[in-house]
Amino acid sequence: MTTYLVRRLLYALLTFLGITVATFTLIHSVPGDPITVIIGRAGLSGIAPETLARIRAEFHLDKPLPEQYLHWVRSAVTFDFGTSIVERRPVRTIIFEKLPNTFQLNLIAFLLAASLGVPIGLWSASRSGRLTERASAVGFFLLYSLPSFWVALILIQYFSVRWNVLPLFGMTSDAYVDMGTGGQLADRVKHLVLPVLTLTYAQLAIFARFSKSALTEVIRQDFITAARAKGAGTVAVLWNHAFRNALIPMITLLGLTIPYLLSGSVIVEQIFQWDGIGLLYYNAILARDYPVIMALTVVTAVVTLLASLLADILYAFADPRVRLGEGAQ
Amino acid sequence: MRSSATGESQWGLTWRRFRRSRLATFALAYVGLMAIVAVLAPVLANRKPLLQRTASGWSFPAIADYWVSDPDIEVAPVPTTFTLPTPIPFSPNSVDLTERLQPPGGGHLLGTDDLGRDIVARMIHGARVSLAVGLFATLISLVIGSLFGAVAGYYGGAADWIVSRVIEIVLCFPFLFLVLGIVALFRPSIWTIMIALGLTSWTNEARYVRGELLRIREVEYAQAARASGARDARIIFRHLLPNALAPVLVSSSFGVAVAILTESALSFLGLGVPLPTASWGSMLSKAYEHIEYAWWLVLFPGLAIFSTVAAFNIVGERFREALDPRSE
Repeated sequence: MTTYLVRRLLYALLTFLGITVATFTLIHSVPGDPITVIIGRAGLSGIAPETLARIRAEFHLDKPLPEQYLHWVRSAVTFDFGTSIVERRPVRTIIFEKLPNTFQLNLIAFLLAASLGVPIGLWSASRSGRLTERASAVGFFLLYSLPSFWVALILIQYFSVRWNVLPLFGMTSDAYVDMGTGGQLADRVKHLVLPVLTLTYAQLAIFARFSKSALTEVIRQDFITAARAKGAGTVAVLWNHAFRNALIPMITLLGLTIPYLLSGSVIVEQIFQWDGIGLLYYNAILARDYPVIMALTVVTAVVTLLASLLADILYAFADPRVRLGEGAQ
Repeated sequence: MRSSATGESQWGLTWRRFRRSRLATFALAYVGLMAIVAVLAPVLANRKPLLQRTASGWSFPAIADYWVSDPDIEVAPVPTTFTLPTPIPFSPNSVDLTERLQPPGGGHLLGTDDLGRDIVARMIHGARVSLAVGLFATLISLVIGSLFGAVAGYYGGAADWIVSRVIEIVLCFPFLFLVLGIVALFRPSIWTIMIALGLTSWTNEARYVRGELLRIREVEYAQAARASGARDARIIFRHLLPNALAPVLVSSSFGVAVAILTESALSFLGLGVPLPTASWGSMLSKAYEHIEYAWWLVLFPGLAIFSTVAAFNIVGERFREALDPRSE
């Protein structure tokens, strides 16, 4: 087990270095350095070369690339991502400000999708071959193919515009500060409904599909046949043998859904003007706020890395075949 | 996978199994129809007539400028004695402010947008963008993925280790963050989108090719080729890759769906194919501005994205099932 953990951690460290190199290379392969781009976009001209040189030196852009990279990684490890060009505040402060908002939205969507999707998937796998199972399989596919921004528009069109029961966008109403505690809570919940719905439905389909195929896979195995052969009833076989084993592969979903959720956040937060890191990233891209773009690219990738690391460790605890080295290939 | 005892080829068997699902067959036909619409777009929706007769004789104005990049340049009307219009007699970018925000029916089948542009015409031309992006992005990822996967699977050892680490790194980046970053930093265009999508979504293809090659690299025909002195590249490209193609094509079908979905998301966010080129995603972002009354702006482009993505997903899923020997 220890060997497995050590190896896995070393790989994670290596992946982290790869993430930073990839991000750094990507940003620096953009034609023109950030300063030139920003000056060009601001329409400034006739800046003295000495001033430019001073600004470049301040952002370490005058150093050779490997040295710039080392400097950036060293700061990044201590969460020092420099100053936002647009907001003129430390990037770290801004990210820590917005992260809870994204976390809140995604956690609710994740829990909702898992608690609905997994039972639906397991149920439909246990009805393998019947009409309801085949219909639900098609249903998952259709759900999964719905573009989230379209769903958001339709929800807005009905709930916010036509029926006027839910807010159009934002996290709180303008009158939020004047409300009582109960009113504030209700207001927050109201603002959460549409973004959460938009984030949930596709994940629900993913969870359902994944748990369905996990259970189907388990049912095919010999020990299930053995359990049936010894005379256990269908329900007993499913509950005592199949479900528990089908849940193990679900752990990997933890690592797989995080990047998916973060990607979805960009669209949902932009549409609903939800003040999280998705919207922050979108605005940073529009303004070419390089420190923010670099910081968010690395932070989101590292979050994904940690989630998949956690998933792998949990998996090793749940499945002895992994930690004992079997199936390491 | 071997051919069955009846001597039927693998593709024949797969196709026969595929067709057993009516839904999937319908989805495949729908994909084909969309492809035809995309290819024929300038002839299907064009304000210039398909066929006309002027003093100088017969001509085909809509077909004539098929390859012209901007066929919307104003031309002085020529007196004609006979005209046969295209099925949708509007160009995607012909602005007509007297016809703005017309509901469906009337002169425009599915209505017009806030500049009086015909929705059907824009959707027909939007199909071109969607399918072109879907196809080329997937082609790029197929090439990159096959190369990486083949090297990893065939050589194993250090090559495999390196490729696996690279895949791990790419998978850590949230897909849309990476694509959005690349597209926006290198200025949005249809080419940037295709390349960005191709560069970021090859990991599935690579994993499938790697797995297949690991499995088949020691089969008899590979050994025979090696014994007869064939070089590695020849063994990989000529003998192994063609046999590893089927599962990769399945993942490509899903890849097209993801590419179409992502392109429309980028265009919706204003970072996709630059305006005024019609794209389903940018049509939807227009819809947000007029959401109070112009429901047709929301409904139709969204339906186009959804149906096309769903069709590719259903085809991919059925294709996967048809290839699975356990499904028989």
